Amino acid sequence: MIVGFAGLSHLGLVSSIVTASKGCEVLAYDPKPGLCGDLREGRLPTFEPGLADLLEVSRPRIRFTTDAAALRQCDVIFFSLDVPTDTEGRSDLDPLRELIDGVAVGGSSEAVLVVLSQVPPGFTRRLADTLADRAQGRAPGVFYQVETLIIGRAVERALDPERLIVGCRDPRAELPAAYQAVLDVFDCPILRLGYESAELAKISVNVCLAASVAVANTLAELCEVIGAEWSEVAPALKLDRRIGPHAYLSPGLGIAGGNLERDLTTVQALAAEFGTDAALVEACLANSRYRRDWALRAVHSWLDPGDDCPTIAVWGLAYKVDTSSTKNSPALALMESLRPLPIRAYDPQARLDGSRLPNVLQVDSALEACRGAAVLAVMTPWSEFATCDLSEVGRLMTGRALVDPFGALDAARCAALGFSHLRLGWPRPLGTRAR
Amino acid sequence: MLGASGFVGSDLAGHLMHLGIETVGLSSKDIDLCRPEAVDTLAGIVAPTDPVVIVSAITPDRGRDVSTLMRNLMMGEHLSRFLVSGSCAHVVYISSDAVYADGVSPVRESSCRAPASLHGVMHLAREHMLTHAVRATGLPFLILRPSLLYGARDTHNGYGPNRFVRMARGDRKIALFGRGEEKRDHVYIRDLSRLIGLALLHGSVGALNVATGTSRSFLEVAQVVRGLIGDAVEIEYLPRATPAIHRHFDFSATLKAFPSFRYTSLEEGLAEVVRELGTGRDWATGRSGGGHDVRVREVAG
Repeated sequence: MIVGFAGLSHLGLVSSIVTASKGCEVLAYDPKPGLCGDLREGRLPTFEPGLADLLEVSRPRIRFTTDAAALRQCDVIFFSLDVPTDTEGRSDLDPLRELIDGVAVGGSSEAVLVVLSQVPPGFTRRLADTLADRAQGRAPGVFYQVETLIIGRAVERALDPERLIVGCRDPRAELPAAYQAVLDVFDCPILRLGYESAELAKISVNVCLAASVAVANTLAELCEVIGAEWSEVAPALKLDRRIGPHAYLSPGLGIAGGNLERDLTTVQALAAEFGTDAALVEACLANSRYRRDWALRAVHSWLDPGDDCPTIAVWGLAYKVDTSSTKNSPALALMESLRPLPIRAYDPQARLDGSRLPNVLQVDSALEACRGAAVLAVMTPWSEFATCDLSEVGRLMTGRALVDPFGALDAARCAALGFSHLRLGWPRPLGTRAR
Repeated sequence: MLGASGFVGSDLAGHLMHLGIETVGLSSKDIDLCRPEAVDTLAGIVAPTDPVVIVSAITPDRGRDVSTLMRNLMMGEHLSRFLVSGSCAHVVYISSDAVYADGVSPVRESSCRAPASLHGVMHLAREHMLTHAVRATGLPFLILRPSLLYGARDTHNGYGPNRFVRMARGDRKIALFGRGEEKRDHVYIRDLSRLIGLALLHGSVGALNVATGTSRSFLEVAQVVRGLIGDAVEIEYLPRATPAIHRHFDFSATLKAFPSFRYTSLEEGLAEVVRELGTGRDWATGRSGGGHDVRVREVAG
């Protein structure tokens, strides 16, 4: 049996390599010139913890090709292209449609087709109906499978999923044997839902997570002004069975990365089209936009009114740890908002395009970023920041304010060195000025 | 500048003079914007390279009824007709946070604009009228929505810093409603003038709230005033007639628009007000008395 993957963006790369690591023979297709050649050499286009090592051990079982016709050999073909979004979180499905057209026309009519890409409700049924029309009755099985990868933890999530959710035309029918065999290697519960239910399940996961984050943000902000500590409140919530130990209750700087925003935007669009209420979703998005400026407000609260041109140090550019992606990064949003103030920035993985932010100088070390800075903002909590020499940080900086939303730095050490330390969900230090 | 003789206009005129920006200040004595002839009069005064700052309005202390609203809207109509001709370089309209719905917090530029007062209705309608007018010509257009303003020359005597300073200096007593717990964002008039100056220099467009981002209770304001005037000032508490409504602002947009701009703290602003009232000198210019010399171009016709 050969399992095909069409579209080798982050989703396709992780899914194909993980499937190969589980013992399946995999044929991974992407039309982009150069990509397959790089992959054959073990060079990945994106950083994801554990993926490079997994590719190395899976090499005997995975082939990369730019020939769509090669997918005719496959028993199951996963369409695994990440759906791009614009700055408003709206999906562009055209690349996926082109990919499917290119593969489905040339592919075997016997292969099971599985849409793994992030599509809105209704997409899979329309695809299945279209293919059925074209094949005049001898249509392949078409399914939708929910992906729940988290960038930075994608390999872990793909190797050991909590469950697999499959969208079917008839959820009561058995899955085709080849597809069932692929799913069985993951050794987890398999839920068969209708097409639209599965598509909405994927979106619903993200809406629930976004709502949970918005709750955490709202209450953490209250903590900052009433003297409570969110780090004390959250564990108490998680011990409530109705909330649970794995609840998403960490306050943040707004929804970043694109996938959550995409699904919230999809719900808004569907609600607008069908006349249902989406005020909750709008509230989540509004809260996200508001929280994105937390660091900006915090930085300004510690700037000397008499200093027209303070230097700001920024640690962390990526939108989260263990990734080099800066898409929707709060750090970039902060630096753009601080223009034209000079900024010295450091990140262990992410690299800036210098032309985009001319006020930013990217340096090679965290300590070098602090030189002459009035305020240090720790925008991505990379683990290396926790072990930085804070005495040296204090010596290099001209100011004593640390904006550390995620609590990457040791609070007691910061206090002992005389820093004013602002964190999400913690009472504001004395002397903090405007909100 | 239209509305040059008022609280905002007179302070702005002084600030622009301080910046070296030649200002032509027009008040209702110079041009009656309620009359249709105002359109041609403006066309004769304003040069195509001139920015125009619109402060003119009949304020609530001079009328809160529908008749006042209609007169203000008539002014808006004539201003719009003038702007459709496109014969100026940049338009800055001084609106008000009264356009926002009650209960919205924190208020930001994208917040729901559903005013509860006719004053707010007036400003919201004028915002729309002027926006519609400049759309056709592509004139750069900025709306500024100040929160509560205070300063030595404010004659409105609204509940807040201005009234508290006068009460403290006169009666040695400050009267608060309830326990003075309502929080508001109080903006020193000089800060509005400085922001307008920056906006003119940068040709800014869009909409921006003018608020410090820190709301203080009326009790806190009274305590600051007492601290400046002297401990003999008594604070008394009167029954509250309406429920307390707090208003806070998210001033992130100002931080992004003008990263080097810093608002004057309430303590510093009130100290300047008290000094100015005490000596009669304008601390911005060092001049005594009210008003500023503003060059008035000969009105044509």
